Amino acid sequence: MTRLTRPVVIFGFAFALVAAWLAVTLIGANTTGPLAGFVDRLSTFTTIFLGIFIEAAPFLLLGTLGSGLVEVFFNKDDLNRLIPRTPLAGAIVGGLMGLFFPVCECGVVPLTRRLFKKGLPLSVGVSFLLAAPVMNPIVIASTLAAFGVGPVLFLRLGLTLLIAVITGLVFARQTHPERLLNATAWAEISGGSIDSPPLSAKQTGEGPGVGIFARPSLREGLPRVLTIAADEFFEMGRYLIIGSLLASFMQTVVPQSALLAVSSGPVISVLAMITLAVILSVCSTVDAFIALAFAGTFTTGSVLAFLVFGPMVDLKSTIMFLRVFNRKAVVYLILLPLAMTILFSVFINLNTTW
Amino acid sequence: MTPRIYRTLQALILAGLGVFLLEKIWSGTLYWYISNRFLLLTLLAALGFLILAQNILPRRRPAGAQPEHEHAEADHDHDHGEAAPAWGLFVVALPVILGLLVPARPLGAAAIANKGVNTSAPLVAGGGQTTKLDIAPADRNILDWIRAFNYASDPTTLNDQPADVIGFVYQDSRLGTGEFLVGRFAINCCVADALAIGMVVQWPEAASLAANSWVHVRGPVEASTANGQRIPLIKAESVESVPPPSQPYLYP
Repeated sequence: MTRLTRPVVIFGFAFALVAAWLAVTLIGANTTGPLAGFVDRLSTFTTIFLGIFIEAAPFLLLGTLGSGLVEVFFNKDDLNRLIPRTPLAGAIVGGLMGLFFPVCECGVVPLTRRLFKKGLPLSVGVSFLLAAPVMNPIVIASTLAAFGVGPVLFLRLGLTLLIAVITGLVFARQTHPERLLNATAWAEISGGSIDSPPLSAKQTGEGPGVGIFARPSLREGLPRVLTIAADEFFEMGRYLIIGSLLASFMQTVVPQSALLAVSSGPVISVLAMITLAVILSVCSTVDAFIALAFAGTFTTGSVLAFLVFGPMVDLKSTIMFLRVFNRKAVVYLILLPLAMTILFSVFINLNTTW
Repeated sequence: MTPRIYRTLQALILAGLGVFLLEKIWSGTLYWYISNRFLLLTLLAALGFLILAQNILPRRRPAGAQPEHEHAEADHDHDHGEAAPAWGLFVVALPVILGLLVPARPLGAAAIANKGVNTSAPLVAGGGQTTKLDIAPADRNILDWIRAFNYASDPTTLNDQPADVIGFVYQDSRLGTGEFLVGRFAINCCVADALAIGMVVQWPEAASLAANSWVHVRGPVEASTANGQRIPLIKAESVESVPPPSQPYLYP
């Protein structure tokens, strides 16, 4: 933005806001007017948007704090020690890492990006990104509370891990992993294993990730953790908010009754529940309770599809993926889990009787 | 934008988000957006926003030398000033901006157009199936009634039990004259997953009720069917206008 256009843009924003406010107040006062329907829709849209945002905000904050902690108190050597060297073992560890980083699908994105910056191999990070929203103590507890110990719980965890590990392995085959990452998310990451030589020559020497790392004391480190968390919140928050706007827009436009009408076909019910998961965009920590509402009428496979695919890909979190990966990688991150979820869920529908 | 101004704006927006959440909690309107079990989490998030804001608000520079890490932060700021453009600040401020501009309202009859309404929803989440029948009829809300009719082995045994429910008026085009739906939204976690549920009410002056106004309906229930499903129907003896309840939604 040049010096001249910036004030124009700021005034433009301010003017648009005042105009919108005037319009809403005037029309709102006169609810019988022809625009009353619009005001109703706007009000519904805003309520749903704020609902999604208020629900997601604490979890995103948690993720950004985790990201700050990793940046300040963690270094490359710690990662080197903890991550196994073969792609398969790496992807499995990535899939299980959520057990120690309890984050949902909003919090996992900033954390994964930070771990990539610290040199986490791509396959491990992808597997972590996809699995952590389900493979974590909070979500396991909420699924247990909703469904009890049974096939839904075990299949949710098992399928999530399986899909995350397979997707991670597909990414491990990339010979140029740095090309899949957004420029802001890569340090000197390596290929499938941490053993292979660094592929990028970016050695800026900045930050504790590179060079000699002195772990700061808590008193020194904490303000930095909070500053990083704030920056991360602004970086990721805007994508979360755009995603929430999109999700609430879809909810005010797409009639859900049409989706809920198809509850029995082995394939169509799976597709309906996947669509529902994507547009509802609810946090993985609570989605089990929502799925339970459909467990009576929808096929088991479709309820599982909701529980497995929703946490991996939904409108609000997927938009945040663009902050970590490039567009092509994001397409893979959506399509691979989608194809596998459909495959496994339809298989379950066709081959089981519960 | 200089790093200092950028930081100040960031701090203001974070503080704004924190105050916004606290105001929602204070005024009780938080429940228009999210289930009450998120109260503590929302409170923590509000405090988190305020702490982050306090932490990044630029300090007044002392006359003498700057502390070491303050300097490092200033360098850091500059990077981010370019990475996160001004529109990013605007977007993050959107929850507060929209919250102030658009008059806050809980989901009502107007939202049914998109969400559809259920008269026999299988909303089984939480709550045992038999316990719902233990609630005294006069204490049952719309959700309890729908469940009771879903799970009663013979719903006609519920006939003539007195219903006493509060909900919004929804004029469904599928209903006959002299009938309306008294509805509520049932919510598991936040309004994104809201499902509208309703009971058919027989009331001669149904057409005169304003859509989306709240009413208190009293009268005996009767088992009825719609599309092959058992639904409760209220033969209203009285329908009074009431103000919207402070907890607009029902929690399964």
